Amino acid sequence: MAKKLGMTIDLKRCMGCHTCSLGCKMQNNVPMGMLWNRILTIGGEDVDTARGEFPSLEKSWMPLSCLHCENASCVKVCPVGATYRDEDGRVLINYDRCIGCRYCMAACPYNVRVFNWQKPVREPGHSYGEAPVRAKGIMEKCTLCVERTAKGQEPRCVEVCPAKARKFGDLNDPNSEVSKAIRERGGQQLLAEKGTKPQVYYLR
Amino acid sequence: MENRGNLKMSLGILGLLTLLGLIAWVYQLSNGLIVTGMRNVVSWGLYITSFMFFVGLSAGGLIVSSSATVFDIPAFKAVAKPAVILSTVCIILAGLFIVVDLGSPERILYLFIHPQFQSPLIWDVVVIAIYLVVSLLYLKHMTQPAPDYRKLATMSAVALPAAVLVHSVTAWIFGLQIARVSWHSALMAPLFVASALDSGLALLIIVLAGLERYSDYKVEPKLYASLAGLLAAFVAVDAFFVFSEVLTAAYPGEESVTAALGLLLSGPLAPFFWVQVVLGLAVPFVILASAANRQSKSKILLAAALVIIGVFCKRVWLLFSSFLLPLVEGAPGITLGQAPAAGAKLDMWAMAGSYTPTLVEWAIFIGIISFGGIMFIIAARRLLWAREDTARGIRIAPTAAK
Repeated sequence: MAKKLGMTIDLKRCMGCHTCSLGCKMQNNVPMGMLWNRILTIGGEDVDTARGEFPSLEKSWMPLSCLHCENASCVKVCPVGATYRDEDGRVLINYDRCIGCRYCMAACPYNVRVFNWQKPVREPGHSYGEAPVRAKGIMEKCTLCVERTAKGQEPRCVEVCPAKARKFGDLNDPNSEVSKAIRERGGQQLLAEKGTKPQVYYLR
Repeated sequence: MENRGNLKMSLGILGLLTLLGLIAWVYQLSNGLIVTGMRNVVSWGLYITSFMFFVGLSAGGLIVSSSATVFDIPAFKAVAKPAVILSTVCIILAGLFIVVDLGSPERILYLFIHPQFQSPLIWDVVVIAIYLVVSLLYLKHMTQPAPDYRKLATMSAVALPAAVLVHSVTAWIFGLQIARVSWHSALMAPLFVASALDSGLALLIIVLAGLERYSDYKVEPKLYASLAGLLAAFVAVDAFFVFSEVLTAAYPGEESVTAALGLLLSGPLAPFFWVQVVLGLAVPFVILASAANRQSKSKILLAAALVIIGVFCKRVWLLFSSFLLPLVEGAPGITLGQAPAAGAKLDMWAMAGSYTPTLVEWAIFIGIISFGGIMFIIAARRLLWAREDTARGIRIAPTAAK
């Protein structure tokens, strides 16, 4: 059976340290002013603020990046087939094909796509990471670290998480770590009612 | 003679504005879409609004002119020619607005080389291409010295559904998106067609009056009254659809839909929503519903202008009601995609969308519309008043042919 690569993110373990976000940025050459992977503070008014009213306060975070949907809206709407699902279930962008119409951005229910509105700016003045450099006027987003995962390595965000909140694996393999975690912990998909079938599950 | 001078001057001004738009586009090409007000949260703006608006204007004009033949309404046949010219010009403008919206327009041919037929955008490319060809053929047949009426009847039988389809497909670009609550509605296509009908007809009325004023083109006064009656009916249909859509969204009180609706009723989009409802629907309907008012050309023109403004506002609230609110909430929000200025650490984030068109966008917007004006004037001069319209017995004296 073909692979269906996916991830679980344990929100009980996530402590909002943003290490995965920065690891991702370095690994993937993500330009200044945008992130492929960002950490949202749930319900709070600002970063790292609690929700609720004293003394019933709660504080938690939710990392968000492309969820690699099985029924991906972005893949459907791309007029030139630049956004596609590869054979292992990653949703990827062909940077040489994208025409910059941003229809995928309007179609994505999760606001996880980022566009190169300008010539990409990189603070050290050179590229970093393994991912190829993207040009002005095209879309980009999380690739599940295709450069690493194609070689059998884990995505960078999984590797660098100090709390071991993230797990990566094949959702089609019932014995994989991710499949077990989803079964045992009742993994939830974000906005499941949209029917996009994300391959990233949150464990609450 | 005076007219000729005016014509040259207006062509000159329009040419200058077109040139300015072109310069702005070159500037945008070299710097990227960063020179617009669009960012990662609100990722479509004035260009896409205008695209919808002009597809509507175009479809409306063609629907009126082709139904003249299809349903055999002799009075409307008289305006078929200017209507088709107008439709053709408007659809070209709509296409241009897509071109300037692309981040990588040098790859535009990929739409034809690598079409992915699952995408409503490709449906639109196909339908607009067919529509443009149909309009041009229709125009060609219509302006023959001795038009073949059987051919014209066939052409209009194709043009009518094509015009309805072109605006429906444009609506589906938005309406099929489950991600955006205020777009995801089965009523989107009928709503767009209704807007096309009223705004397209309104523009046609204004253009006819303009042709009468600035050329020797003559329109029977009775025609204005009957077009105005039709406009009143179209406005009522549009109002009915808007009401039905808003009621359906409001009644269940579902959280995300209510939030989007709040933007319209009392939020940042309220000016556009209420201008459309009051000035774009209610006022023109009240004006046009009275038979006495339909005898007054100036009142008809006022109502028509209000309808057009209203429909433009409708495009604005429709588009942005789905863009302003983040789809997944949580601080610090969404990255804008703009490299922050040195020292300003947090200005790459936004908790909610905001959008104001920049000067560059306005320049391109005005440039494209001016280009449309030039195309219309040239086409009208060559096709409308260069010869007598023998078919309808309306004498159109040549102005510049001497």
